[in-house]
Formats: sequence, C-alpha cells, structure tokens
Amino acid sequence: MTSETGFDPKLYDRFPTREPRPEGELEELERIWHAPTGWARLTVVNNNFIGTWYVGAAFLFFILAGVLALVMRTQLALPLQGILPQETYNQFFTMHGTVMMFLFAVPAVEALGVLLLPQMLAARDLPFPRLSAYAFWAYLVGGLSFFCSLFFGLAPDGGWFMYPPLTSIAYSPGINADFWLLGIGFIEISAIAGAIEIVVGVLRTRAPGMTLDKMPIFAWAMLVFAVMIIIGFPSIILGTLLLELERALNWPFFDPTRGGDALLWQHLFWFFGHPEVYIIFLPAAGLVSMMVAALARTPLVGYQLIVLALLATGFISFGVWSHHMFVTGMPTLSVSFFSAASMAVSVPAGIQVFSWIATVAVGKPRNNTPTLFLLGGLVTFVIGGLTGVMVALVPFDWQAHDSYFIVAHLHYVLIGGMVFPLFAAFYYWAPMMSRRALSERLGKWVFWLMFAGMQVAFLPMHLTGLMGMPRRVYTYLPGRDWEVTNMISTIGAYMIGLGVLLFVIDLARNFRFTAGDEAGNVYGGGTLEWLPTGLYSTRSIPVVKSREPLWDDPKLSDDVEAGRYFLPNSATGHRETLITSPIRAEPEYLQIMPGPSAWPLFAAIFTAGFFLLLTVQAYNPSIASGVLAVLCVLRWLWETDRPVAKAHADVGAGIILPTYATGPRTHGWWAMTVLLVVIGMIFVMAVFSYLYLYGVHPSFWTSPPDAPWLLPIIGGHAAAAGFALLARRLLARERTTLWTPATLVLIAAGFALFAFAIDWWSWRATGLTGATSGQGATVHAFLALQGILTAIVALMALYLAARNARGIVTRPRNNSMDLTVMFIAYTAAQGTLAALLTRLFPGAI
Amino acid sequence: MRAWLLLLGGLIVWAVHFFGLYIVASVFLTTDTARMLALLVTLACLIADAMLLAAAMRANRAADDGTRRWIASLAALGAAISLVAVIWQGLPALLV
Repeated sequence: MTSETGFDPKLYDRFPTREPRPEGELEELERIWHAPTGWARLTVVNNNFIGTWYVGAAFLFFILAGVLALVMRTQLALPLQGILPQETYNQFFTMHGTVMMFLFAVPAVEALGVLLLPQMLAARDLPFPRLSAYAFWAYLVGGLSFFCSLFFGLAPDGGWFMYPPLTSIAYSPGINADFWLLGIGFIEISAIAGAIEIVVGVLRTRAPGMTLDKMPIFAWAMLVFAVMIIIGFPSIILGTLLLELERALNWPFFDPTRGGDALLWQHLFWFFGHPEVYIIFLPAAGLVSMMVAALARTPLVGYQLIVLALLATGFISFGVWSHHMFVTGMPTLSVSFFSAASMAVSVPAGIQVFSWIATVAVGKPRNNTPTLFLLGGLVTFVIGGLTGVMVALVPFDWQAHDSYFIVAHLHYVLIGGMVFPLFAAFYYWAPMMSRRALSERLGKWVFWLMFAGMQVAFLPMHLTGLMGMPRRVYTYLPGRDWEVTNMISTIGAYMIGLGVLLFVIDLARNFRFTAGDEAGNVYGGGTLEWLPTGLYSTRSIPVVKSREPLWDDPKLSDDVEAGRYFLPNSATGHRETLITSPIRAEPEYLQIMPGPSAWPLFAAIFTAGFFLLLTVQAYNPSIASGVLAVLCVLRWLWETDRPVAKAHADVGAGIILPTYATGPRTHGWWAMTVLLVVIGMIFVMAVFSYLYLYGVHPSFWTSPPDAPWLLPIIGGHAAAAGFALLARRLLARERTTLWTPATLVLIAAGFALFAFAIDWWSWRATGLTGATSGQGATVHAFLALQGILTAIVALMALYLAARNARGIVTRPRNNSMDLTVMFIAYTAAQGTLAALLTRLFPGAI
Repeated sequence: MRAWLLLLGGLIVWAVHFFGLYIVASVFLTTDTARMLALLVTLACLIADAMLLAAAMRANRAADDGTRRWIASLAALGAAISLVAVIWQGLPALLV
C-alpha cells in the first residue's frame, strides 16, 4: 500500500493490542479532560459542551424568528389587519429573514459540525477548541443583542438583502440599517472562525486509516460547506464594509450620480447569498446521507456519486448568483448563461435525491420519527427544487419575481432541505448526548404537524404569488382573491408553530445532557460517533478500515473502550489529539491542545461589544471594546505554541510521534493558509468592485498618481517580505545575536507601514478623496484594507517580539514566527497588487 | 497537491469556464464578438476536460490501492460531468 507521509501502514496491524493496559490511565484521561464546574463552566472548551450549547442557541434563534413569522402571518390572515404597523412589519420581515439565515441556519449546521465531527472522526476534539468557544460566544452574545434591537424599534427594515439605494443614508437615515451592517459583522467572524476549524479538523484530525474514500459523508459535506464559507463570506464582508463606509463617510460605492452603482451591491450580496443556500443545504444533505443509511440499515447507495455531487454543488453554486438579478437589465447573453447554470445546479441535487431514494428502496427502513422527517424533507425539497428550475427560466422569473411564489419556493427549499433534516438529526443524534432518547410518540406528532403545516402554509402561497401578491407588503385590500389563500397559509403556519412547541415539550421532558452516560446507538448507526465516549471523546482512537466500522467490526466498541488502539492514555500528560495526513489519515504528530480558558469568552464579549457600540455610534467605548477584544485574543494565544517536556511520545503499540512540529504540514500553518484565502477573497471582491465601477461609469475616472510613486511602494513591500523571510531563515541559526530574528520582523513591519503610508500619501496628493467618486471610494477601500492588514502586521510583530523577550520563540523553527512571516509576505503581496492595479488600470493597461 | 488537482481538476475547469463566459458577456455584451469568444473559451475548456478525463482514467488504471483508485475514478467522473456542463453552459452563445 502507498504511503503519503512515509508512515508504514503495516503498523496498523499492531492494533487492537492484546496486552492489558496499566491501571489509572482512564482516570488520568478523565482528570485531564474534566470540564470546570459552577460559573467556571462558562470557560469550558470541550466540543461536547460548546457543540450542544451552539445547537441550543441556534434553535433558540429559530424559535424567535419563527415567532416573528407567526405574528406576520396573523397580520396577513385577513386584509387590512392592524396588528403590525407598516414600519414594524418591515422590521419583522427583515429580522425574520436575517435571523433565520444568519443566526439560525448557518450557525446551526456549524454547531452540528462542532458537536458531531470530532466524534465521527474519533478525534479528541477539533484542532482549535478555544476558537470554537470564541465563535460560539461571539455569536450568542452578539446575536441576542442584535435581536433585542427589535424591542427598541431599531431593527433593520430594508429586507434581509438590504438593497441600496433603499438602505443608503438618504432613504434609511436612522441606525436601523447600521444594525444590520455592523450587527452581522460578528456573525461573519464567527462563521469564518468555524469554517477554519472545520477545514483543518476534517483534513487533519481524522482517525488513522480514515482515507478520503472512507470519510463519513457528513465530513465531506462539512468540508465543502466550510470551503464555501471561505470563498463566499468575504463577498458579504466586503459588501457590508462598503455600504457602511458609504453611510458613515459618504463614499459613493453605490451612488450612480457619483460613479458608484447600486447593482454592485446586488452582485456582492448574491455572490455570497446564493451559495449561502447551498452552505445551508449541503451539511443538511450530509446529515441525511448519514441518517438514511443507518435508518434503512444498509450502506449508502452511490457514496462516490454523492461526494461528486457535494463537490460539484460547491463549485457551481458560485456561478448562479445573478439569477436573483434577472430583472435588472443585464445583457441577454449574461442572463442566458446564468439561466443555464441555474438549471444545471439541479443535477447534483438530483443525484443526491436519487441516491437517498435508492438507499431507502434497498434497505429496510422502520417507521420512526427521524425516518419520517427524512422522507418528509425529501418530498418538500423536491417540490422546492422543481419550482427552483421554474424560476431559473428567465421569462417565468420575470413574472414571478418578488411575488409570493418566490416566498413559497424558498421556504420549500430551506424547510425541506434543511429544517426537516435538522429535526431528523435532533431525534437521531439526541441519544448521543442525552441520557434519554426523545419520545417517538411525541416525535410523530411533531412531524405530522410540521409536515402538514408546511404544505398547508406554503403550497397555497404559490397561487397567492401567481395571482399577483407581492412579497413584503404589510397588508392588502379586500376583493383581490388573496384572502382565502392567505388565511390557509396562516393556519398552516400555526400548525408548524404547534409542532415546534410540541418538540420543545419533548426536549424539556426527555433531553438530559450528559457526556459519558448517554442513551447510545438507538437507531443502529455504523459510524464512529456511536463509540462509547467521555469528555475525552473515545477512550482510544481506532484504526478505520471501512465506512461503517461499527457494522463491519462488532468488537470495535469494546476494543476502543479497553484502550487497545491509538492514544489509550494521555501520552504527554496534556490534552492532545492525533494530527493525521489529509488524504490517507496517516499519523504525523501529536497536537497538544489548550484547555478551558476565560479569554475566548471575554474576547467574544468585547468583539460583540465593538460592533454593537459602533452601531449606536458610541465610538470611544467601541474602540475600547475592540482593543480589549484584541488583548484577550493575544492573552489566550500566549499560552499556546509551547513545546512540552517530552519531544516524542508513544501513541500506542510502540508507535512514536513528535509532540511539536513546524512548517507546512502543521495545523497552524493550514489555519493561517485558510485565513489568508479569506483575506485574499475579500481583496478579489474589492478588485471586482473596482473594475465593475470603471466598467459602468468610466467618465468619473481621473488620473492616478504618477508611476514613479510605485517605486517606494513596491520597494517597501518587497523589503517587508524580504526581512520577514530573512528572520525565519536566521531563526534556525541559534548563534545569531546581533539582530535577533524578532527584531528583523519588527523592521519588516516598519517597511510595511512605510509602503502603506507612501501609498496613502500619493493618493492624497492627487486630491482624490473617498467621497469624490466611485474611483475615489474603491481606491480608499483598497487603502483601508491595506491599513487593516498593516495594523495586524504591526501587532503580530510586537507580539512575536514579546514572546521572544520571554524566551518562548523556539529554535530552530517556531510556529508563531512562521505564521507571522506568512502574514507579512501576504500583506506585502496584496499591497503591491493593489498599488499596481489602481495606478496602471485604466491608463497604462 | 497533485492528488487534489487531479480530484478537482474537472470542476475547476467548469468554474473557469463559467467565469470566463461571465467576463466575456459583461465586457462585450450580447454581440457576435462575445459569442465567438464564448465559443473559444468553451472549446479550450472542453480540451482541458478531455485531457483531464484521459489523465484520470490513466491514473485509475495505474492505481495500486483502493484509495488511489477511488480518487482517480472520482476525478474521471468530475471531468466527465464538467465536459457535459461546459457544453450545456456554452450553448446559449449559439442559441440566444
């Protein structure tokens, strides 16, 4: 068999070991992975706790947004109802969409990833548990504060996609729109943090032997999901930044009278917004693929085709964003390309649907609650998919656009594709973390109420839309034939509400969180999350030989529990997990993991504080909160990246692995690479904005600074990157005393600052400001992005210098140094590209 | 990296083709120049897909273990679906 890392796969034959394990190993594991109690429980970072809280918080937002929907449906049940005034109704539908998409759907699937992935991969935890804790707390604190804006009449009211000019300062002068633009800033940060965690977790912490072709399908789905967040979210990050800059500083990105363009927002929003649908759907599809096999008691039909479908969806979903813009007057050929792509995207979804149907047909499914939710979701999603193909047809879309037909379509897709699978997952996986399974009897009531309610609420809505009722109207006149269908929809909405209420009752009666005393594998799943676990995850980490190891090796649970596989103990006396190679999951090194800490919690509170205080224009407290957030992050990082006493450790059966590693194969390097891709995508979208605005309004463009300015700018960036790389090289020379490597990094940061200052100064000298035109705005957006990167470079250099002064920058290689150097090199490259683009195009090119 | 490139090659070509068409139609609008360029981009991507498909099938035949074979066959499926998708995606240049 081929090896990816030089690891000899024959070593796997040593497992399961036969020798008895020494006394006290399990107790030591329990001690090391013990969760704090009392108030200190808030500092816990174990995925069992954080994952469960995360899912719970997402469900709370589902209920809150659902209550908003019920009030709206009550308002629309009859014509000319006076329950909600128009302004409040606008806030309600905006918050319903925003909360469902940003505070429920994405966090819910991310939460399930945090909860389930370590168990499915048999990792002790995801590789950055404090990052998970930070992502959760930032989301919870910020999300609740954001939601509370509704109680003060300050909630955003421009619809969940916030189109300018409606949301520009001229038409939305209050701070309601700012709540949306800044309020979801922390959610973006939280989503990106989670995505980094998931990419590195799936690719680097799988159980040994779990090659790509044996990876649970949910892990594939989460991998594609996380990559889509990394590619898609930067677009909305940039979009919200630009719109907020326009509102706060009068930079006219979206103002066509000054060289901006309102459609730029739609491009930026939907480049994120349409993939967002698949960002939500794919993890749910992964859950369905996992559950359908277990519930039908047969291996999944077409595993490889489903992986292909997941990957294909991930790619093509970025090619359909403009189908939301068919009525904006784009060129006919463009519209046709997007129409074709929008139809094509149904093919990968179809592959999955047929695979699930085949699995059910081949297997022997039982009549239980998760199966009902799966089948109900399948039917509902297929209906939504078919209406999706209908609106991919341009002439039909022109008729149905912005009508209730679209509302019906998107609810069929999202409820069938995500909500029903999520409820199936609640019932299926609850026994993994609860002492009791949820009630089958109540569960069937929950399903039938929700399923019937869904059809009653949304099927007539197609007709309401085709009869001409536009979406987002707070009321309507009698005599337009909309009364009956609206009343039926409202009855259906209440049926869904009743189903959810019963589910909450079921949770209250039966869900009892535990980590070690769980109800167990009620539905007979064959994947690793059903191994017996504690807070340390599994007692030992098995060698994986198939896709359903528990079905293929009935003794596996006992052997794992008896410590007969990898890491039956704590090899170093610390929290640790195996880092394995990305394709073949061969053991590479032992990662030392951080334990409970209050700093991620504080960092999250101050991060949310920064954004929310900025929204209410309390600038000084906001800056203070931001500084505190940064200090908390640095404090939590301070304890990491430290080698332990044992440089090598026995991870089981005499296999020795290093406990500290550096370079491109480390999890830290991977995480930084992913982060740089995120930053790079923000830059790419800024480049798109720059080119787009020139393309639509070239008459507003003026001459850039003279070309000789490029010399010091590019020279400064080159020097920054050069000194940083030299510092890394010199670190390996232990006798370097004259210029310590940390000093060289500080010099590199100085050059980065110099290059940025010259760049900024050269533009100021031309008289072009951010408020002058679309060109001025985008140029200053580039400068703002570069300024942020340069500030981070300075911070990282100072942090590294502080670590060096304390003697914790290890020689000959050090991860903190490596990551700082990577960041400086990237900053230099982006600064150079931005300077070249804004000076040479248009003009020299 | 080679394994990932092989695995995702077809889908990357699909994405490149789409963005190529988007740029062509955005710059040259609905003109004969745009149609010609769209067809050229389509042709280039079809050639790339065909080469990737051949490479994946070769890798599949040469694979000495299950994982490598699985990756190669997935790559071949990806290239094949990309081949069909690129034709489908390019058709509006001829039909509209």
